[in-house]
Amino acid sequence: MKRILISVLSICAIGFAVSQAGAQETFPNRPITVVAPFPPGGVADLTARPVAAAMEKILKNPVIVTNKTGAGGAVGMSFVANSKPDGYTLLMALSSISIIPEADKLFDRKPAYTMDQLVPLALISADPTILVVPTGSPSKSVKDFVADAKKRPGEISYSSSGVYGTLHMAMEMLSHAAGIKLKHIPYGGAGPAITAVLGGHQDTLASGPAAVVAHIKGGKLRPLAGWGAKRIAALPDLPTFKELGYDIEFYIWAGMFAPRGTPEPVLKRLRDSLRQTVQEAAFKDAMAKLDTPIAYLDAPEFQKFWDKDAKMLADAIKRIGKIEEKEQK
Amino acid sequence: MLDTLQNLYVGFSVALSPTVLLYAVVGCVIGTLVGVLPGIGPLAGISLLLPASFGLDPTSAIVLLAGIYYGAMYGGSTTSILMRIPGEAASVMTCIDGYEMTRKGRAGPALAIAAVGSYIAGTVSVVGLMLLAPPLAAFALRFGPPEYTALLLLGLLVLAYMSGGSVLKSLAMAALGLLLGMIGIDTMTGFFRFHYGLVELGDGIGIVPVAVGLFGLSEILLTAGQEKPPEVIKPKLRDLLPSRAEWRDSAWPIARGTFLGFLIGIIPGSAHIISSFVSYAVERRVSKHPERFGHGAIEGVAGPESANNSATSGAFVPMLALGVPSGPIPAVMLAALMVHGMSPGPLLIQQQPALFWGFIASMYVGNVVLLILNLPLVGLFVNILRVPYPLLYPAILVFCVLGVYAVNGSVIDVWIMIVMGGLGYLLRKFDFETAPIVLGVVLAPMLEMSFRQSLAMSSGSYAIFVNRPIAATMLACGLALLLLGLVPFFARGVDWRRAFGLSPSSELEKEDHR
Amino acid sequence: MHTIDRIAGATLSLFALWVIWESRQLPLGTFRVPGPAFMPALLASLLLTFGVLIAATGGYAERFRSLRWNELPHATAILIVCVFSALALERVGYRLTVFFVLVFLVKVVEKRGWLITAIFAVALAFGSFFLFYTLLRVPLPLGPLGI
Repeated sequence: MKRILISVLSICAIGFAVSQAGAQETFPNRPITVVAPFPPGGVADLTARPVAAAMEKILKNPVIVTNKTGAGGAVGMSFVANSKPDGYTLLMALSSISIIPEADKLFDRKPAYTMDQLVPLALISADPTILVVPTGSPSKSVKDFVADAKKRPGEISYSSSGVYGTLHMAMEMLSHAAGIKLKHIPYGGAGPAITAVLGGHQDTLASGPAAVVAHIKGGKLRPLAGWGAKRIAALPDLPTFKELGYDIEFYIWAGMFAPRGTPEPVLKRLRDSLRQTVQEAAFKDAMAKLDTPIAYLDAPEFQKFWDKDAKMLADAIKRIGKIEEKEQK
Repeated sequence: MLDTLQNLYVGFSVALSPTVLLYAVVGCVIGTLVGVLPGIGPLAGISLLLPASFGLDPTSAIVLLAGIYYGAMYGGSTTSILMRIPGEAASVMTCIDGYEMTRKGRAGPALAIAAVGSYIAGTVSVVGLMLLAPPLAAFALRFGPPEYTALLLLGLLVLAYMSGGSVLKSLAMAALGLLLGMIGIDTMTGFFRFHYGLVELGDGIGIVPVAVGLFGLSEILLTAGQEKPPEVIKPKLRDLLPSRAEWRDSAWPIARGTFLGFLIGIIPGSAHIISSFVSYAVERRVSKHPERFGHGAIEGVAGPESANNSATSGAFVPMLALGVPSGPIPAVMLAALMVHGMSPGPLLIQQQPALFWGFIASMYVGNVVLLILNLPLVGLFVNILRVPYPLLYPAILVFCVLGVYAVNGSVIDVWIMIVMGGLGYLLRKFDFETAPIVLGVVLAPMLEMSFRQSLAMSSGSYAIFVNRPIAATMLACGLALLLLGLVPFFARGVDWRRAFGLSPSSELEKEDHR
Repeated sequence: MHTIDRIAGATLSLFALWVIWESRQLPLGTFRVPGPAFMPALLASLLLTFGVLIAATGGYAERFRSLRWNELPHATAILIVCVFSALALERVGYRLTVFFVLVFLVKVVEKRGWLITAIFAVALAFGSFFLFYTLLRVPLPLGPLGI
């Protein structure tokens, strides 16, 4: 028994020594983990998997996607933010990465993580949300919709993926820009929120196009406008809010992050691999199947995009404030 | 109708092609293996193995997932019956009578009935899914927050019929469970309740660790230290199959469970979990011998097992007919479809007939494969009981930790399981039943959300619950049930304390553990 | 007259009071607009009522003293092992954790021989890991040494 133990220990020690020695030479030399902070089948997960598959080929090392879920993504994001900055633990985050620290601030909570604990590597995709109503709705255009909302303030209801969630933010920006008051009914995720509109329980919602395009083509939902700077490819006839004179822009985006403190050469290697990734045919194919446009931005531009986005979201959250207190007034 | 048959023929020709069939069998085996892990039911099974299907062609992938789904479903009942460890929240009710049957040496029949019940429920509900999907789905969509609130309140009423012990104690346990369900971020306002600095509690405490802790771990804690090892009668070969009487007793519960489960299952949301609780309560209510429940009544296995199986098939109705992600499991399935380039939507059936009918056919095939797979396995599984308990329970413990951890990859879930194990141990020492706690934890978040959504919709007016016909009907039913249940209290000559199970005259049967 | 129902009822009531106390930091809301503390406070009040009723009517229940606790040492040992596994799982990895847990339970608690302990622990720790991690790709934690 003792002998076995000794030999096991020595093998381990050798393995450890080898891995330590190797770490100084080239990056990467062991499996990389990409954390998706949402459950399998969600946008983060579905984006992370083709990215990981392509990176695996480029970096010649396994790239494994793990789902660390909970608290609207805060669990997985704080896990990466607090992990060792060696480039072996990465994060596939969505826009909500900028929301959670702001919400923590609003409630005077100890933040799960702060945004400067993470450095951006690359933006992978960005999809503008679109405003949809059931086909039976009297609103045929944004003009009708806004006029209707002004006529009966606080009566038109919209569903969302959750309070302070991305879909809530999009609608908050719209109601602020258009000067209307809507009734917010949060649901536990985007799926139930869409179901609620399809069932006629709520009047409208903002949604990512991929989730509703089939319902639009099937004649169950009518799109009114999109939040993007440009029209979206799947619905070329759909105007943007910018065209209609509302200065709002909002995307559900997915981007890759690393913990701050990761050495510069490692960051460069990762960024290079991501630049190659977005050009891979297999990756393009996978994203096309998801109806999600690739919107690649390298770290410096992504940082700018992120700063702007985060500021916009922070403003929206401050405007919303604590919901309970507002309703008490 | 003819169309349907023709389509089904197309579907079967897809599902029975050798490669696709192979994937169905592989899926069933994998599903059974993963489903045997405590806590890993169909949802966790599919979520964990979804990535593995990404490399396959669409039909194979969906067939594989359907196999995993059914395998996990069947596998979940095995541990519930043999070791009192719920494979998932929906198997909690199976634990109660299934495990009592095991202690009496009737593990074989319990497993066989669970498999046959699941098979019948699975097959019948797929027929229902195939023929009735479009009209039912349209009906199911009419369930908004007020209807959901009414349904969940009705689900809570089930409690009164669920337990054999004191009603008061059951109510207290349900209140405790509902309170535990309040932990986490409040969905309506974003306030983080009772978190004590743990981010992981944001989505609340999971049903899986609570169920595994309260049932599985507490059982180990109570049994492992007994001076003489637990009296589990080793089954003889001829005891592996159900007796004629057991078949007869199970027939109606299976039929009722299938019907009830399907109806509850089609409603969007997570209500399908309550189907097994409702089925158990119904069986106990209609039984001529309700006192047998909790002591190894085969009806208590047949009903809930059929109900939870057909409920999850029912959950596919809105998904396939309308492309609506109507619950956690269909949502994962839809994601799998999206990966293969199919947009979820109302046109799914028209656009992808081969896929849709292949999926339906593979559900039939999956059920048959599992029945063939599981009936011979009954003999094998029952032999696990021959392992001496001092070796068996450490292994069970390891699998509990493994299963609970794997669902979310979270150590916090393991901690919750440990705390719940200790709590369950104490509560059972003090003669409380733990099933109402699980029901409470399941219902609390849904009930609170739909209740507050309803009030937000109506700007605070409670009239919304009576103005909407479906909600009003369900609430009226609930009220009638409640009044019926209260009749004995007002009838003369009945000791009210007896009804609550508190009076000395109704000496309760004590659990064998003390 | 310390019956089990009296003690249990009293404990549940105390727990309910504690929950009500803890809910004070959250907005209660109104009947028409229930706040985040509304349901917890309501449920805790219900639990309090039930707890008091259980205690009040539990005079005839079994005496607390007549409870036998002969399995308690075992139960405590098992709970300690569970706590160890929760602490160790992500630090030393799945296989080593399970190995230690099994060695402790089988050898120390159940007092089986070394040989059977070793075979059992190694087989289960590595076998279950191989089956679920390697074959079925269920993510399980690895230790710092990669095992």
